[in-house]
Amino acid sequence: MNVIEINNLTKTYGKARGICDVSFNVEEGEVFGFIGPNGAGKSTTIRTLLSLIYPTAGSAEIFGMDCIKNAPEIAREIGYLPSEVFYYDKMKVIDVLNYSASFYKKDCSKRIKELAGIMDLDLKKRVDDLSFGNKKKVGIVQTLLHQPRLIILDEPTSGLDPLMQQKFFDLLEEENKKGATIFMSSHVLSEVQRMCTRVAIIKEGRIIKLETMSNLTENNYKKFRLEFDSDIQKEHFQINGVSNLELKEKFISFLFKGNVNTILRKISQAELKNIWIEEPSLEEIFMHYYEKEA
Amino acid sequence: MNIFLHELKSSAKSIIIWSLSMAALAVMYIFIFTGLGSDIAEFQDLMNSLPEMAKKLLSVYAESLSTLEGFYSFVFVYVVLCGAIQAMNLGLSIISKELREKTADFLLTKPVSRRTILTWKLAAAFAAIVITNIIYMCVTFTAALSVKGQFSMKAIFMISLTLLLIQAIFMVLGVVVAAMAGKLRSVIAVSLGTVFGFFILNMFGSVIGEKAIRYITPFKFFDYGYIIRNSAYEAPYLAVGAGFVVLAVAVSYLVYVKKDIHAV
Repeated sequence: MNVIEINNLTKTYGKARGICDVSFNVEEGEVFGFIGPNGAGKSTTIRTLLSLIYPTAGSAEIFGMDCIKNAPEIAREIGYLPSEVFYYDKMKVIDVLNYSASFYKKDCSKRIKELAGIMDLDLKKRVDDLSFGNKKKVGIVQTLLHQPRLIILDEPTSGLDPLMQQKFFDLLEEENKKGATIFMSSHVLSEVQRMCTRVAIIKEGRIIKLETMSNLTENNYKKFRLEFDSDIQKEHFQINGVSNLELKEKFISFLFKGNVNTILRKISQAELKNIWIEEPSLEEIFMHYYEKEA
Repeated sequence: MNIFLHELKSSAKSIIIWSLSMAALAVMYIFIFTGLGSDIAEFQDLMNSLPEMAKKLLSVYAESLSTLEGFYSFVFVYVVLCGAIQAMNLGLSIISKELREKTADFLLTKPVSRRTILTWKLAAAFAAIVITNIIYMCVTFTAALSVKGQFSMKAIFMISLTLLLIQAIFMVLGVVVAAMAGKLRSVIAVSLGTVFGFFILNMFGSVIGEKAIRYITPFKFFDYGYIIRNSAYEAPYLAVGAGFVVLAVAVSYLVYVKKDIHAV
């Protein structure tokens, strides 16, 4: 079952680009990553899903309901963490969280205490006394306190120290195991790589790639680094499936997609001193897509 | 209901400060009236001797200045001025603060429709001005009752009630402006500008005696001399005021429900 279904979603701001013809689905129980650089349209897509902004054309459904028409109904089952969190400055953390909980028809007080404990958050402080990272923690508790079925995260780790990121990801994994679907946008690819089963790559308002994480990293690409004794011609490796080919002194590195036997035969023709074959990081794949499309 | 209580709680302090300040202004004048005692006749003569233009500027209804209700109406103009600023501030900020303080992402992703949010916010703003008026009236009437002598409590009540009506007009004006505007950086600048604009128009209108201006500025919807003489409001102006409130609320709903809320 699809939790999110986006069909040809377009949003334009006058002449400025928003998003154009975005279509993809997120299945139930998935952890879906939405990656692209700043300004590519990640937030625009998310804000349309949340009916904070209205699409120029196209539509989106969440839980099978129209995300504009049925926004309040859908929102009951959504937890949303914006990239920058802001709450009522003069309120205490616990009052903000209780106010948030009051919108959902269930008792969340136990869950609030539990989450605040995990995230090490002081509930008695006033919001305007909190650091950026601590505000983000309030945001995390606020996102999860009503046990939503769909968790939408916009750049979730900005402002969190690595320890808190770890705790947060553990929490998310736990929620995911309990059946929650997670949709997260990011430009920090390592966090997407860690969490997500599938990703959509967005560039200049358009989806340029939709792929399972395993396809993106394991099956398709290998990262090769070769060291040679003698000088070597870069062109030797310029074959189908090779990209990001670089020559640095006696080192050659490239990404390869395709039948590994082909490339191994090619390599065997040269006199090697050393070889490294690795899974490329998502950054490298990502840059590869961006350069190719540019 | 949770939105209503949240909004009301967050404006509680300002309601108390504004209503007590306005009441203090009125009470002070009531005590001045008591203090003047029998000298009031001389005060009336003094006001009568003012040039015609000055009288109009000060909205003096000299014929009744020697009564408490007449004297009260003289100062009430300034109470209404304060009240209008308070109401417009309230209307502007109750809508614009979510954008200015960047809490829109929080509130507007909750399982409530924008229509519901606006309804509770309007209800909270209206409740705030009703509470303001109750506090104001309680304090002022208590002070008025301490004055010995003949006066019409009904007239004082009817004059005081116009505060609520004028506040309602400026409150919805604030709401509709905030709904249509993008991010308002300073609420007080907009409300002071607008309210003083209407107030100056009001004084200007008094001086030139232009009838049309009475329909434009809410400060002129109620002629206190007329209220004292007839114990009634003038229906056409009430209708204009009510019409404006309905229109402003309707436009606010239309705009607010369709508004794009952009990232901060």
